[in-house]
Amino acid sequence: MSDFITSVKENNSIVIIETNGYLNNIGGEAVSAVVYEKIAQGQSKFLINMAGTKIVNSIGVSILIEVIEKLQEVNGKLGYYNLAPIVSKTFNIMGLTKYSTIFETEEAAVNGL
Amino acid sequence: MASEFNINDLQLKYLELETLLDITNELNSFDQVPDLLHEILVKSCAVLNASSGLILIEENNSDIFEIGAHFNIDISVFKGLIFNKRKGLIHDSTQIGKASTLNIEKHSFLSKTHCKYALMAPLSEKKNLVGLIILFDKESRSGISPFQDADTNMLSAIASQASVAYNNIKLLENIKEAKTFNDNVMQSIVTGVFTTNLMGEINHINRAAATIINLEKEQILGNHYEYIFQFNNSITQMISKCENDSVSLSESQIVLHCNDKLTTVNISVSPLLNDMNESIGSVVAMEDLSNIDKLKSTFKKYVSKQIVDQLLENEEMQNLGGQEQDATILFSDIRGFTSMSETMTPNEVVDTLNEYFNLMIEIIFKYNGTLDKIIGDALMVIYGAPKSTKKDTENAVLTAIEMQEKLIEFNQRRIINSLLPITIGIGINRGKVISGNIGSRQQMNFTVIGDSVNLASRLCSAAKAGEIIVSETVWVNIKSNKLLKSQKLIPIKVKGKSLPIKIREITYAKSFFNYGVVYGMIEEFLIQRLPKEYTYHTIHHIRDVVKQSERIAKKEKLSLEDTADLKLAAWLHDVGYIWELNHHEVRGAAYAKSILSALNFPTSKIKRITDMILATKIPQSPKNILEQVLCDADLDYLGRKDYHAISLLLLKEFRLNKEISDLEWLKLQDSFLSKHSYFTKTSHSTRNKCKAHVLESIRQSLNI
Repeated sequence: MSDFITSVKENNSIVIIETNGYLNNIGGEAVSAVVYEKIAQGQSKFLINMAGTKIVNSIGVSILIEVIEKLQEVNGKLGYYNLAPIVSKTFNIMGLTKYSTIFETEEAAVNGL
Repeated sequence: MASEFNINDLQLKYLELETLLDITNELNSFDQVPDLLHEILVKSCAVLNASSGLILIEENNSDIFEIGAHFNIDISVFKGLIFNKRKGLIHDSTQIGKASTLNIEKHSFLSKTHCKYALMAPLSEKKNLVGLIILFDKESRSGISPFQDADTNMLSAIASQASVAYNNIKLLENIKEAKTFNDNVMQSIVTGVFTTNLMGEINHINRAAATIINLEKEQILGNHYEYIFQFNNSITQMISKCENDSVSLSESQIVLHCNDKLTTVNISVSPLLNDMNESIGSVVAMEDLSNIDKLKSTFKKYVSKQIVDQLLENEEMQNLGGQEQDATILFSDIRGFTSMSETMTPNEVVDTLNEYFNLMIEIIFKYNGTLDKIIGDALMVIYGAPKSTKKDTENAVLTAIEMQEKLIEFNQRRIINSLLPITIGIGINRGKVISGNIGSRQQMNFTVIGDSVNLASRLCSAAKAGEIIVSETVWVNIKSNKLLKSQKLIPIKVKGKSLPIKIREITYAKSFFNYGVVYGMIEEFLIQRLPKEYTYHTIHHIRDVVKQSERIAKKEKLSLEDTADLKLAAWLHDVGYIWELNHHEVRGAAYAKSILSALNFPTSKIKRITDMILATKIPQSPKNILEQVLCDADLDYLGRKDYHAISLLLLKEFRLNKEISDLEWLKLQDSFLSKHSYFTKTSHSTRNKCKAHVLESIRQSLNI
């Protein structure tokens, strides 16, 4: 597990990935690696707890789009919670929220995904 | 389907614009440089897809730059490096002066980062380089790639915004520093200073001013000066005039009444101007004079406002040199002060001189004199130099008369307080003097010198206690004022003059006994000195005896003179309690004899006063109507409705020296009241009936 991923856990058949730091090329690759591995194990619902990620660049976003594409192939879903306002705004601008969902809290995310 | 998800250029441009807008909006909200730099760097990295970055920022007033912010980079690789403005990367950036890509290989420290590509943009203040944003390795899905021209433009735009925000913070820091500095200066100076804004509200104040105003700073700030100085018309008028006419004003020795505290201050008010020379309020400085040690200030040079104004108006007068002119010089000297001071403690000498000088100097200023010197216990005062008026000599003589008259009153108070009186002799001369600022540049005093000055000093030496000796020149100058009287004296021979000098003594009411003044002074003395533990023999009892004496005297149709003497005895009848209890009448009579003699009270009448005091000794033994009136007044309360309340006070005082039970006290009262009889018809007619009721009530308590 890279430094960017601080934990991976499951809650109600949903994989929750906790991140910390810059969601850039490296951070994005780290997320996609975990997701792809879990898809291979049969998981299809993923949440990213972004409390520790205050900054994101377009490369990181484009990797998340690739992850969403991959999940669509298995009828899976991706969601996020604990987003900093600037990260939330970037996701909106980049169109990410059309295909994935932003939640306020883990509880809301687990219930709503 | 996949194309739906591709990030297109439009979205990226939108993100760039939004980021730039965010930076513009947010950067000005920072007030700390480190926070600002971190935000700039993070936003720059994010929007330009840089993998990491750092900001080098100029150390205060040096050529060395330091790392102000870093993102996603291990800065330990830079340990030991000095970023010098005069060489290397910083120097090159200064030369380039705009955002550009950097050649990593050219700069050894950049190669330590193991990055491949770098983009930098300068942070500037005007045209000076104050910082450098450096971003490393532009990310792409295929890996690291070089920064493009569009990235350079974007970082340049961010750096421009960042420069403005950085300079604003530095400006704010400078303003804060300047404010702190000003505040510290303001707080440390002993002069009270406050400023008002255009609305007249006090918006700045230092500690000294708050102390003078006698309120906490928080209670003063934001209030209108009219409210804070509501009992001080002089200062509100000064500020108002300063506001309306944009003029600077100053006043000396103003007594401020603030929050139940009186403070004497010198005040100056000036308009507060902005860069455009427009008035934005007033600044007021107050010098607290009450804390100045009186003796110290007395020995300072006193210069009248008149001279100060002239010195300020005429710069030439500030230079050394002098001019010949006519002036009137007054000298005064305490007679026998040296031998008198030998009987006093050093503190008493200082207190006495303080009190004396304060009184005299007030009179000198009243008549526009300039106190030139204080030599020991002597004063030298100038009238008419550097600017003369027609009234200079008259003012000098009026000063001398008032000094002697005030000294009589001053001495009356001292006599009543069993202190030795002070007497002075005064000499006045008028003639040619050389006036000017004499001394070294370090210590230059305005003074006058010449024969005329010496003669004034000689006349002072010739004057006996209470005398005012003037030269003929002075008398010729003032004799048109018919209110001033003089008598010729035998001409005197003075040192340095071959012919005897014609002199005169200015006459004035030297000795008078003012009953009212003396009553007041004795009352003051009694308040200060009567034993505080006494509950009956207090100032209230003495005031009551004075009041009853006057009432009975009126009914008994005593003359005004007799009534005045009676009241004098009434004020003094219990003064002996200050020193002793058992024979206080004898002690009081001795004191009365001593002070009345010193106060020029007619010798023939002193005995009637002391006899009145002695007659009040229990059992009372009056031998004439005056003594009878005083005795009746002293025990007037025996026949009044307030008897029981007063007798309780007497009991309380009685018990200070002797144990006595309530029963014993009742018996004592019964015995005393049964034997007592008023002497005057007035007291018989007005008090006997009530006294009988009092006695009856006491007997009822005793079951008699």
